[in-house]
Order: sequence, then C-alpha cells, then structure tokens
Amino acid sequence: MKIDDKTMQALTASLKFRQLRQELHASNIANAETPGYKAKKLDFEEALARALDVDEQLTMTTSDSKHFNAGGGGFNNLEPDIYEDSNGIVSPDGNNVDRDQEMAEMAENKLMYDATVQLINKKLGLLKYAIGSGQ
Amino acid sequence: MSIENVGNMNKMLNNYSTQDWTKSASIDQASLPNFNELNINAAKGATAPQSFSEIMAASLAEVNNMQVEANKAIQKLASGQTKNVSETMLAVENAEIAFKTMNQVRMKVIEAYKEIMRMQM
Amino acid sequence: MDLLTSLKISSSGLTANKKRMAAITSNIANAQVTRTAEGGAYKPKEVVFGSEPARESFAEILDGELEEKAQTVHATEIVNSKKPPVLKYEPNHPDADAEGYVAYPNINTMEEMANMIEASRAYEANINAMSTAKSMAIKDLEIGRN
Repeated sequence: MKIDDKTMQALTASLKFRQLRQELHASNIANAETPGYKAKKLDFEEALARALDVDEQLTMTTSDSKHFNAGGGGFNNLEPDIYEDSNGIVSPDGNNVDRDQEMAEMAENKLMYDATVQLINKKLGLLKYAIGSGQ
Repeated sequence: MSIENVGNMNKMLNNYSTQDWTKSASIDQASLPNFNELNINAAKGATAPQSFSEIMAASLAEVNNMQVEANKAIQKLASGQTKNVSETMLAVENAEIAFKTMNQVRMKVIEAYKEIMRMQM
Repeated sequence: MDLLTSLKISSSGLTANKKRMAAITSNIANAQVTRTAEGGAYKPKEVVFGSEPARESFAEILDGELEEKAQTVHATEIVNSKKPPVLKYEPNHPDADAEGYVAYPNINTMEEMANMIEASRAYEANINAMSTAKSMAIKDLEIGRN
C-alpha cells in the first residue's frame, strides 16, 4: 500500500485532467453564441488507460530488475488529447456548441471528480489507519 | 375432489410408512457436518485440519487480494473503462473493512499472546 | 489555478450576456421611437460576440497544458443593425417625411423576446458552469479530510 502506487497516480492525474476538462466546458458554454467557435473536447481516458495498463497486456517480461518495463508506467508525461469537435450541428454563424450537452457533460465530469476525491480520501484514510496502529 | 384423487392420495400415504419417517428423522452421527472443519475446508480446499499460522496466512492473502482487486476497480474507473461508480465504491469499502477486520484480529492475537506470556509458571 | 481560469471564462460569459440583455431591452423599449438625437428612427442594437484566449500572460501559457485552447468571450462590439427602417404611411404624423411615410425601427418584438429568453438561458448556463467550478475547488479542500 504505497502512497504513490499506480492507483494513486491515476487518481491524481484524473483530478488534474478533470479540472482541465471543466475549463473547456466553461469555455464552450461561454462561447455558445460566438460565431465561428467550434466546441473543444478533452480526452484523457485513453492515455490514462495505456499508462495504467490495467490488465497488464502491454507489459513485457524483463530479465533483470534494472531493465525498464516498456509497457505501463510513464505517468509523468501523460498527454491529454484536446481537439475540436467536428460532429454536432453547425449553425449558420459557424458555431457548433450544444449548450445542453455541454451542461450534461459538465455535470458528469463534476460527479466523477467528486468520486475521485472520495476514492483518494479512502486510500489515504486506510493508509493513515495503518500508520496509526489501528486505534 | 374426485374418487380417483382420493384413491391416489390413499396410495401415496400408504407408500410412506411411519417407519420411513422416523428413520429419516433420527440423527445420524456420521452424516452431520463437522463445523470445525467446514470453514477451513472452504478456504483451502483441503480435508486435513490446518494450523493457526496457515489460516492466518491464507486470510492475509485474501485481504491482500481484495486490496489488489479494489485497486484494479479504481484504475478501471479512472481510465473510463467502467462508468459504474457504485461497484468501485463497494469494492474499495469491502477491501477497507477486510483490512480493518484483519487488523483487529491481529490485535486480539497479540493481546492473547501477551496474556499467555503473563501467566505465572 | 486551473479552476480559477474556469471562473474567469464563465464570468466573461456572464458579462457578455448581460450586455446582450441590455441591447435587447433597449430594442424592446425603443421599438416605436421615430425621433432620435442623431436624426431618424431608432437603430436597433446588436451585439457581436468574439472569443480570445483565456490565458493572457505568456508565462501562464507556458505553464498550462491548454495553451490558448480555453477561450473567454466578450462582446466585441455593439453595432447598429443594418436592417433598414420600416416605412409606414401616416401623413398626419409629426415625423412624416415629404411623401407621408414615417420610418419606424425594424424591430420584431417577438424576435427580441425570444432572444431575451435565449440570453437568459445562456446566463443561467454560465452560472451553472461557474458554480460547478467553484464546488470542484471546494471539493479539493476536502482531500485528506476524513
């Protein structure tokens, strides 16, 4: 139960990316009427899944403990994918923001953010319990 | 309730003699389950009684396994492979309860050990 | 830090929509005005929205992963509508021209009301985004508290 094991790293990375996603949602909602503005989306789940390598399908066997494991790992340079949404109905002034969809996705992002914070608290709480001689 | 049904019921009742009833109601020592061995057998799949340290080791492995599973569930949730938050929360909670129970058992064992060491010989 | 940028973006949306509301209410109130200080009928106001990058200083841009992707919005201009005024034949009107036509502003009150509802919904959506960012920031403070 390390402090910085894969799961904690995934949770903290997830926190950071969800904050960035909230920024993009705010931007999309604020610019829902701006001519020519295209909705922006952030996708970090894929990069995170690859870094986590949950089912360990990408890990390679190493013959020496000092050899790097070429599969998972690499939380330091996680690059999220920020792109402009090409789907969606484009209105005559060139804007393709669907405000209701943005609000729904923002609500989901908020819920997952809360869940992430709760899970971090649970893991930290268990660690503290173990340190505190279980009293 | 036709005559035929009554006749059938009569036949059924005659087939079950009172002797059969009492025989199955008597307690047969050999067929009673051995409660002491039940839990151990379920956990280890062996038939011989296990030593206490082996039981502890098995339970520790189980608790650790639950932690690993909970971690995997968290990773799946964080990377978007599952949207089921309740499942993840339950897995984490289970792992936490198992760990805390294990810890209580540990404390009791230590307490018992101290108690034994205090016994005057 | 990132959530504060989110607040800045949402507040820019609120300001822009407030200006839009001001333009709409001005149009509705002046829908029948035939005489203005500049001469002629009242010209309906329209608001043009523009967006610009949310992170202004270069240092911020270097720090953040988002570069200039998140955009604030602001009402870049309040312009007079290009729609020509509506001419009505009222020879006895004090502002009638030589042929007896009076120029009225080309304002469709129903359209303005619909725009007003739209602006109000946009305002609410921005409030929603703002309060979401705020509660996420507050949630941050709960990390480690059990």
